[in-house]
Amino acid sequence: MLGRIAAIAGNAFREAVRDRVLYNLVLFVLLLTGAAIFIGELSGGQERKIIVDFGLSAMLLFGVFIAIFVGVGLVYKEIERRTIYAIFSKPVGRGEFVIGKYLGLCLTLFVNLLLMGAGVSLALMYVSRGWEPLALSIWPAILLIYFELLILTSVALLFSSFSSPALSALLTFFVFIIGHFSSDLKSLATSLGGTAARFFFRAIYYVLPNLANYSFITSAAHGQRPTAANLLAAVLYALIYVIVILAATTLVFSRRNFK
Amino acid sequence: MIIAGENMLTTAPDQSRRTFALLLVMIVGTIGIVFMARWLDSRRTKPDPTFEQEKLYVTGQTVRRLSLSFNGLVADWYWMRALQYVGNKVLNTPEDVQFGDLSQLDLRLLAPLLDTATTLDPQFMEPMEYAAIVLPEVDMQEAIRITKKGIAANPSAWRLYHLLGYIYWRQREFQAAGEVYGQGATLPGAPRWMEAMKARMATEGGSRNLAREIYTRMYEEPGDSKVKEMARRRLMQLDSLDERDEIRRVLSLFQSKANRCPSSWREIESVMRSLRLTLDSTGAPLDPSGAPYVLIKANCDVDLGAKSEVGFK
Repeated sequence: MLGRIAAIAGNAFREAVRDRVLYNLVLFVLLLTGAAIFIGELSGGQERKIIVDFGLSAMLLFGVFIAIFVGVGLVYKEIERRTIYAIFSKPVGRGEFVIGKYLGLCLTLFVNLLLMGAGVSLALMYVSRGWEPLALSIWPAILLIYFELLILTSVALLFSSFSSPALSALLTFFVFIIGHFSSDLKSLATSLGGTAARFFFRAIYYVLPNLANYSFITSAAHGQRPTAANLLAAVLYALIYVIVILAATTLVFSRRNFK
Repeated sequence: MIIAGENMLTTAPDQSRRTFALLLVMIVGTIGIVFMARWLDSRRTKPDPTFEQEKLYVTGQTVRRLSLSFNGLVADWYWMRALQYVGNKVLNTPEDVQFGDLSQLDLRLLAPLLDTATTLDPQFMEPMEYAAIVLPEVDMQEAIRITKKGIAANPSAWRLYHLLGYIYWRQREFQAAGEVYGQGATLPGAPRWMEAMKARMATEGGSRNLAREIYTRMYEEPGDSKVKEMARRRLMQLDSLDERDEIRRVLSLFQSKANRCPSSWREIESVMRSLRLTLDSTGAPLDPSGAPYVLIKANCDVDLGAKSEVGFK
């Protein structure tokens, strides 16, 4: 089973590379160079903070776009091209297919973030004219960004398993936005008078991913790192969330009739 | 030769001609775009200055919510906007305005910009420092509020207590300044002079010596380069005030003895040398920026020269 999942994941990664997804790195490098050289000058001596804010925000933004737009097409493209029949004519389970596709995109995002993170670290060392502690201390924040993207990718995959790519992309983008407003949902739930409304908003708060757990860019720009306990809890939360979403995706996908 | 592609009948020379024509269109078009953009820019009416001064309708808290995970980046943008705002005001003012004397500029947006930047990123020290040093000349209460907000968000940052104490000292609220310095002095890592500053606020609040001490600390502490520059200028002004007091004493002594004002600096050159003042080749004493002081014979007084960089008279 693991071999089949690995084969599908490898194919999904190769497909992303063939689709020139990693070309966004070129744009990222250009943005970062521009930020390091030009925006830094306008910041009143705050080049390092600007590079970290700019670099990590771009990593998140680019990652979100990849997770959404590539994620929603993972399954849909196979159905559209009818290659899914060829895949399922072989001894491949639908769950294996979903997990394989998901892991393939995770690998793409991993390579993407790794290279972008290295770019940010190098840019920091460039403006510092040597070793810069921030170049190392930003990596826990990058790890959190990665796990946020893993959650978002799973959500995109879930929507794409029963909806069109455009609608899936829109819904995933909404989840990304609402995920950052989770604390508001919680406070809304506590401030509402009616029990039903309170229950409803509390349920939404727990069902939707709390992406605020992964917002550490601003603190990282000041050289701060999340505590080991917080980092571990956020990673664990993401893993559990992803498992639940992938299970739901497999459930929906296994009920689809491709005849 | 026939080229395979969208049109099977296209030959190689045709293809080259088409490529050349397309490149030509692109180049000519780009030149045209540049030309048109410049033409439009030259005819664009200047924006109404009241638009520029329009207040920020969205509060820092709202911007923080809307910025999702990007609040640090948005804080940077507000910070740079604040710097650009002050910079543009300075550039568009006919008189040469010095940093640290911005009261004559209408900087009504500065407080909301700095407030938003520090709400978006409460650990962003530079806007807070800027608020404490520059904002008091524009809006004292906002400067105090933003610095207090910074202290609430960073209770262990002794430097913010130093800045708040500085604002109170400028407001001549020496007791409040002393209390703030006292609070800051108890924090871990606070330098020992914070405690001394508390005592000095009570005994010599308005003195020039205390002012020198405060600006020296600001100059020596690692921090924003603009704040350091302001502290350097303030120290020059204090030195110049001391020098002018000395020169006035010499002039007064000469006047009481000779019953007239010296006709030139030469006449009191030796006395000024004994005071260890730096003199130029004409015997004129030099201010801390290296420009000669001016002798005002009409009322036997001394003043800064036109080329002086000390700034304030």
